[in-house]
Amino acid sequence: MIRRDSLYRRLLTWLLLPLLALGGLMVLQAWLDARRTADRAHDRLLEAATLAIAEQVQWQDDRLWLDLPPAALEMLATDAEERVFYALFDARGRFVTGNAALPPAPEGPAAGDALRYADLEHRGLDLRLGVRGARLEDWRRGERFEVRVAHTREGRERLAAELLRANLAYILGMAALAAALLVLAIRAALAPLTRLRRAIRARDPRTLAPLELPLPRELAELREALNELLARMRRVRANQERFIGDASHQLRTPLAGLTARAELALRQEDPDRWREALETIHAGGTRISRLAVQLLSLTRLNNPEYHPEFARLDLNALARETVRLHWAGCHRDGVDLGVETPATSPAIQGLDWQLEEALGNLIDNARRYGARRITVRVRTEPTILEVEDDGPGIPAERRLLMLRPFHRGSDDPDGSGLGLAIVDGIARTHGARLFLEDAADGRGLRIGLHFPGVGR
Amino acid sequence: MKALAMAGLLLALLCLPAAAFASGTLHYPARDGEASPADALIVHGALDPPYVRPLLEAFHARHPDIALTYRNLDTLTLYRRFLSRPGEADLLMSSAMPWQYRLANDGHARPLDSAAAEAWPGWARWRRELFAFTFEPVVMVMRRELIERFGRPDSHADLLALLERHGDALRGRVVTYDPERSGAGYSYAIEEARRSPRYWDLVAAFGEAEAALAATTGEMLEGLAEGEYWLGYNLLGSYAQGAVASNPALSMVIPDDYALVTRRLAMIPREAPHPSHARRFLDFLIGEAGQRLIATRTPLGAVHPDLDGPGTAAAMRAAHGEALRPIALGPGLLATLDDLKRQALLARWRREYSRGGEAP
Repeated sequence: MIRRDSLYRRLLTWLLLPLLALGGLMVLQAWLDARRTADRAHDRLLEAATLAIAEQVQWQDDRLWLDLPPAALEMLATDAEERVFYALFDARGRFVTGNAALPPAPEGPAAGDALRYADLEHRGLDLRLGVRGARLEDWRRGERFEVRVAHTREGRERLAAELLRANLAYILGMAALAAALLVLAIRAALAPLTRLRRAIRARDPRTLAPLELPLPRELAELREALNELLARMRRVRANQERFIGDASHQLRTPLAGLTARAELALRQEDPDRWREALETIHAGGTRISRLAVQLLSLTRLNNPEYHPEFARLDLNALARETVRLHWAGCHRDGVDLGVETPATSPAIQGLDWQLEEALGNLIDNARRYGARRITVRVRTEPTILEVEDDGPGIPAERRLLMLRPFHRGSDDPDGSGLGLAIVDGIARTHGARLFLEDAADGRGLRIGLHFPGVGR
Repeated sequence: MKALAMAGLLLALLCLPAAAFASGTLHYPARDGEASPADALIVHGALDPPYVRPLLEAFHARHPDIALTYRNLDTLTLYRRFLSRPGEADLLMSSAMPWQYRLANDGHARPLDSAAAEAWPGWARWRRELFAFTFEPVVMVMRRELIERFGRPDSHADLLALLERHGDALRGRVVTYDPERSGAGYSYAIEEARRSPRYWDLVAAFGEAEAALAATTGEMLEGLAEGEYWLGYNLLGSYAQGAVASNPALSMVIPDDYALVTRRLAMIPREAPHPSHARRFLDFLIGEAGQRLIATRTPLGAVHPDLDGPGTAAAMRAAHGEALRPIALGPGLLATLDDLKRQALLARWRREYSRGGEAP
């Protein structure tokens, strides 16, 4: 079974692994220390034994003479019953006496009478050798000689093992304590996370109120991020509620008008009146259905899950086609509708019907606010599709408000207040930015879509 | 070492002539006659046949499939033969403690890891390689005439006083080991010299009394039995016991100030051809059964801590207590073998011996 990744396990692993490595180092260190201490302790035995032997070396019968004290050999053997070797060599390195021809110790930095030590293998036995160079204390002769003693390592190993055992118990105890403390510390450190989880779980799913609970800094940041998200969701919901309210209001008013008109007509007997009323009702119905269509497309554009399939579009052709569609209507009202396109047409990815609707909305808006001259323009670098008019324009501070659904610049009964909101939605769908600015000659308004890049 | 060989021969003559003359080798064939060479066990020992026979017979009765060969050698021959042919014997038993110790110290022994070895007292073994399986005090033997005339000397001090007071009367009537010719005599001398500086006074007194110097316990016992000597000093108690028991004119004294105790050491050589049989034999030797045999059928003295009663170390300790000084089984034994040490000690011995009287 694979356990899922957990913070607790991560912390534990990354804290315990170094702890383990550290413990290993300490054990190694303890082992080296124990060996060093045991060697030091037992080297004292070599030192004492060589001294005891050296004291018995004399000059007798024209040669070096040794009356070997048995105690000197006995002190080399501890409870571990080491094997013991000794030898006496004269100044020229000739063997005088001993039970093994022990090799000389390597020349150490300390020369003269000091003791030199060496580890060696002799007849298959691991030995520790101690060599003392000394000089006869005689009136006439100052003959130099060397006492070499060696013993096997059992006693050293036993002492080292004992020392290590004591140290090991200590190290293991500390390690266990450290591990226990670590586990407790991690538990304590992760406790606020559990509290946060419980607080989130215990919430009413319909409420979007901010989370209020004291948390450590790192988690407080998470809580703030969560609260910001909640605040955004609250705004979105408020927007949606207002939109629904506005939409139902927008639909109810004309419907109420239709109902009142129909009631008035029913109280009369004159067919001419009826016809007049029916015409009015027909016009109202048309407006209501247009409003419904606009609401529908706005809802669709505002849906974040809406990802239409884009096709490659020629902006010049699109602009000309839209102008052609609206030219007749404008001409009838005496509005001068024109188109300006660059020599090479920029190509973008998009939906032709949406962009045509956006242009149509902008042209409609301009007409409705009293423009006499409207120009649809395509520009390259950057790629821009814009509509410029010579109408009254919109003051800079009110431009953002115009993008809100159902907000109208005037009291024109034919306007739904959805036009610019829809254009904005289409711009967002295409990844374009909607801009509103003063027209080139300082009079009128220029609204356009600023496309981020050409093509894909 | 001719002297020791002769000692063995003389001793054998004294104790059990028939067996000794038969052969220095005892052989017990395997039950079904044609045993494979793998089922053999070869023991080299410096232990005379009368003492070793009960042990060999009992072991052979327990393991009839093993063809058992025992070669009785003197201690030095045993040592030298081992060094020249280390793969010949499965087990070495010798009373020459320093030589046995030296072999083990040099790594020639194979450790024995068995329950019996585990239970063996620490003072009677070295590592798991050398096992002391006997307990033999070094004693004085004296004739009735001496006791009747001068009283019984019970200690070294008594002996020294006796020699100093009646040296002339005892001239030529005292016998002891010659440390130059006898390995055992040399090792006792070195131990005694270590223990007490008054030992040298005793040597001087021996010189004054013109003490005879013998090479073996058997030689001394012979002279004592014949009445040539009245007092023998530093005899091996285990050998003396039989002679004293069979001769009412002799009595044995374990000195009550100190008495050296020598112990026979057994070891299995590293290159033993039949190590598993050797282990079995050594286990038997230091096991309760083998030790009981040593206590009841030989005068060697059993070491096993669970055994009590006559012929055991425990009984001897109870009787003589503090006085018993077993020769320590440790690296001090190596000093005994040092050539210069030997020369120095012998020179001193000669000097002290000739201090009073003339050199023999």
